[in-house]
Amino acid sequence: MNPVQRLVVVGSGATAWTAAIALHRALRQRKLEVTVIDTGPSADAPIGYWTLPSQRAVHAMIGVREADVLRTGATFKLGTEHRAWSRGDSRFLHAHAEIGTDIEGMPFYKYLQLAAMTGREDRPEHYSVAAIAAGLSRFARPKEGSPLTSNFTYAFHLEEAPYVAMLREVARSAGVRRVEGTLAQVHRAADGHVETLQLANGEQVPGDLFLDCTGRQAQLMNLVEAGDRENWSKWLPCDRQWSALANPQENPPPLTRTIAGSAGWLWWAPLAQASMVGHVYSSAFLSDDEALAQLKKTVPDLRTEPRLQSFSAGRRRQPWVGNCIAFGEAAMELEPLAGAQLHAGQLGIGTLVELFPLDARSQVEAVEYNRIMGEHADALRDFTMAHYRANSRTGAFWEATRSEPSPARLAHKLDLYRASGRIILLDYETFEEVDWAWLLLGSGCLPATLEAQIERLVEKVTPADVVPLHRHLVELAKSMPPHAQSLRPHG
Amino acid sequence: MTAAGFASVFKPGQVEVQLIESSEIGIVGVGEATLPHIRFFNRRIGIDERELMAKTQATFKLGIEFVDWARKGDSYIHPFGVYGGKIAGVPFHNYWLRQEALGVHTPLESYSLPIVASREGRFALPSEDLTSVLSTFGYAFQFDASLYAKYLRGFSEQRGVKRTDGKIVDVKLRGTDGWIESVKIENGAEITGDLFIDCSGFRGLLIEQALKTGYDEWTKWLPCDRAAAVPCENAGPLTPYTRATAREAGWQWRIPLQHRTGNGYVYSSPFISDDEAASKLMSRLDGKPLADPRFLRFTAGRRRKTWNRNCVAIGLAGGFLEPLESTSIHLIQVAITTLIDYLPTTMEFDERIVDGYNRWIEMEYDRVRDFLILHYHATERDDSPIWNYCRTMAVPDSLAHKMELFRERAKVITYKDGLFLEPSWLAVYFGQRVVPRAYHPLADALPAADLESRLKTVRTQISDAVAGMPTHEEFLAQYCPADPMPMAAGARP
Repeated sequence: MNPVQRLVVVGSGATAWTAAIALHRALRQRKLEVTVIDTGPSADAPIGYWTLPSQRAVHAMIGVREADVLRTGATFKLGTEHRAWSRGDSRFLHAHAEIGTDIEGMPFYKYLQLAAMTGREDRPEHYSVAAIAAGLSRFARPKEGSPLTSNFTYAFHLEEAPYVAMLREVARSAGVRRVEGTLAQVHRAADGHVETLQLANGEQVPGDLFLDCTGRQAQLMNLVEAGDRENWSKWLPCDRQWSALANPQENPPPLTRTIAGSAGWLWWAPLAQASMVGHVYSSAFLSDDEALAQLKKTVPDLRTEPRLQSFSAGRRRQPWVGNCIAFGEAAMELEPLAGAQLHAGQLGIGTLVELFPLDARSQVEAVEYNRIMGEHADALRDFTMAHYRANSRTGAFWEATRSEPSPARLAHKLDLYRASGRIILLDYETFEEVDWAWLLLGSGCLPATLEAQIERLVEKVTPADVVPLHRHLVELAKSMPPHAQSLRPHG
Repeated sequence: MTAAGFASVFKPGQVEVQLIESSEIGIVGVGEATLPHIRFFNRRIGIDERELMAKTQATFKLGIEFVDWARKGDSYIHPFGVYGGKIAGVPFHNYWLRQEALGVHTPLESYSLPIVASREGRFALPSEDLTSVLSTFGYAFQFDASLYAKYLRGFSEQRGVKRTDGKIVDVKLRGTDGWIESVKIENGAEITGDLFIDCSGFRGLLIEQALKTGYDEWTKWLPCDRAAAVPCENAGPLTPYTRATAREAGWQWRIPLQHRTGNGYVYSSPFISDDEAASKLMSRLDGKPLADPRFLRFTAGRRRKTWNRNCVAIGLAGGFLEPLESTSIHLIQVAITTLIDYLPTTMEFDERIVDGYNRWIEMEYDRVRDFLILHYHATERDDSPIWNYCRTMAVPDSLAHKMELFRERAKVITYKDGLFLEPSWLAVYFGQRVVPRAYHPLADALPAADLESRLKTVRTQISDAVAGMPTHEEFLAQYCPADPMPMAAGARP
């Protein structure tokens, strides 16, 4: 046996540092030595992130307190507001929250499906305290005691540079070694396993297991092997992003906003002292200049020079090859629409801890890791794609994107939903039934019929039964403090 | 079960349920042992457990004992419950393996409350206090399938199910699309319907004979294709578990009920003749036989579509997996509840809904299939041709991958939906002598002294809790005593 004693992480972003700290902590009893080869600022690094609620669990896992996160200028996020994805004035929310309370064991959104199918105007937003609070720019953490105040969760808006600086400090004090340098080449054993990384300055960094967290450049993986990649661009044609910082908004709403454009979508996310903005689009349908002009027109008060980045939706078929593992964007590139950028790295951490190799040479783990991460990646892709499939926006880009047949697993899910209102989940899904309900109902995607036994239950429910719930939630939301006040540490 | 399920969930006026049954055609009556999930079904449709148990001569079931499977002389129990609990996020069995590696040998069984209770013949209902070791198990029933059918018939008729006695002689298909329009029974009556549920057993009167749906055979992995069944008198205390003993050409079941014991030999016809199988069976009964053996034939597999046009096949008409893990009634239950969940408000069944249903049912069957194959494949037995065949056969990739990961590092691949969770796979892997080469590296994080004391605490809690439980028979006597049955009725298969 030749146990893994030295883990080497290559990269410089949030994914790299999170992985280093998390694995160092998880395997501290085994005295795992963790080294980060800090490859320095990358032109591909995002300006920041809108995360999923799972980021809270990550912070707990790496021992970061929420106050430390807020000190980086972060804000809270109760959901995402999508504007103009159907008609020009349409908008809907996807809150990190349950919708209403169960009706005789049936999810509340079934009532909303039936209401929409019978032409009654109603919205999921009315039945979630988190959604209402987000609209009022108010925020409070979930409170145990009543299901109505505890049935939501929250995430963060994070600016990459200060957030990474904080993580770097956490890593340093935890005992993670940092080596600054650029990867030049790898030295491999006869069986292909990497033994040492050589940096541009000639320094040699030996290791037993290597994580490539260098983003879409996949610097290490590309030295190890060409990489068999599954391309998703026919389904997700956006391949460019302009992003910048803009002026802050006073007491901003605790939510991310997207606005559908002619060939993609623009986004806005609040920070304590600024706003992050971007325009994600397809270069086949829109020139870079026009895309920038659209961003500037929508957000006139840009504060930094906009940065242009390219990407290509898809995933590596084998993120784990030999003793090298592609993490985060090195493994999967996906537009940030679902807020899962950091989440992909977290899934990698969790799966790697569960399958931490017994031996630096063992391969049985890689097969299972690649299977699981492939399922996770496809599930994230499907949820992202569903934003494009479920809406009814017109225009060449939108119609072309919708007309491409879906991958089978998404097609089955949407077919069943459209026929019967039923939402099914497969193994390894990040987004739950209620997330799909927010998205599909919000997009105006309605089923043709409902399941008979469910219709029987929800058809008895009338608006008079649910209006008091809505009023009560509005009162609860109004009692929450303004978002800006919640951002002060201990505030 | 189907009629009862529909009649209790849907009210008359919403869905009218009509049952056509021929009292001339006997019922198979295998699948007398159930899984804990049946309690959800009972609760959902409003069946009173004590009444059901008393009326069906039922006993409790905490698991299944497998005898002689990996080697002759082996015995293990697949329990309805967990082994220990997670420590620092790592599944318990990794710590047990570490202790074994340190040379401290304790039976894995001693970390499972339902196994310890089974071995001692004790039973009590699980506790609702989740901190108690008495909450770490579930239970199912062993009952008389004929009495169960009779009970459900009464239950269904009380809820408005119309029953017609008669043999179906013709099925009329709609010219336009081949949907079933009506069925004709012997006396000439034609019965129309929107949805036809085929519970006609192996022959698949509607799904196959009328609709020619097709069947995927799994005989190459599950070679048993016949069974001989016979009841016998009880001998000795009633065990709160079913027993499956590996034999020279298959395996033998033993299911103790209050009034008698059900027995059967499931075998593979290329490896043994009917006569020989029957005589082996008759010579291996606990008590005096109560009837002549009855023979059954089947083919392991699944109907290509269990929902085809306006016909849904449930039970043996939909597929057959041998009752080794008591999945027959469970798969019926899954089909019924899934159908109730999927059934739309209109009776023009959208192809997309039908596909969704079929995919779900396929997944359920395929996962059970892999689990069953594991029992046959992971054996060291080389004393008879069937075991040589099974030991060396190629198994589905989905199973081969699972076994490899367990063998290499004790990792159990689990899934979100479908039957058999981690403890079930553990029981069968270890029971079938699939011995892991290593355990999860994080299990080494616990200091050695803590390891021993924590494992000991689990063992002590379990043995203390079991010592306080009544015997199975004492519990049955106060919970659900059945009426004594005249032997003639009890002898009905």
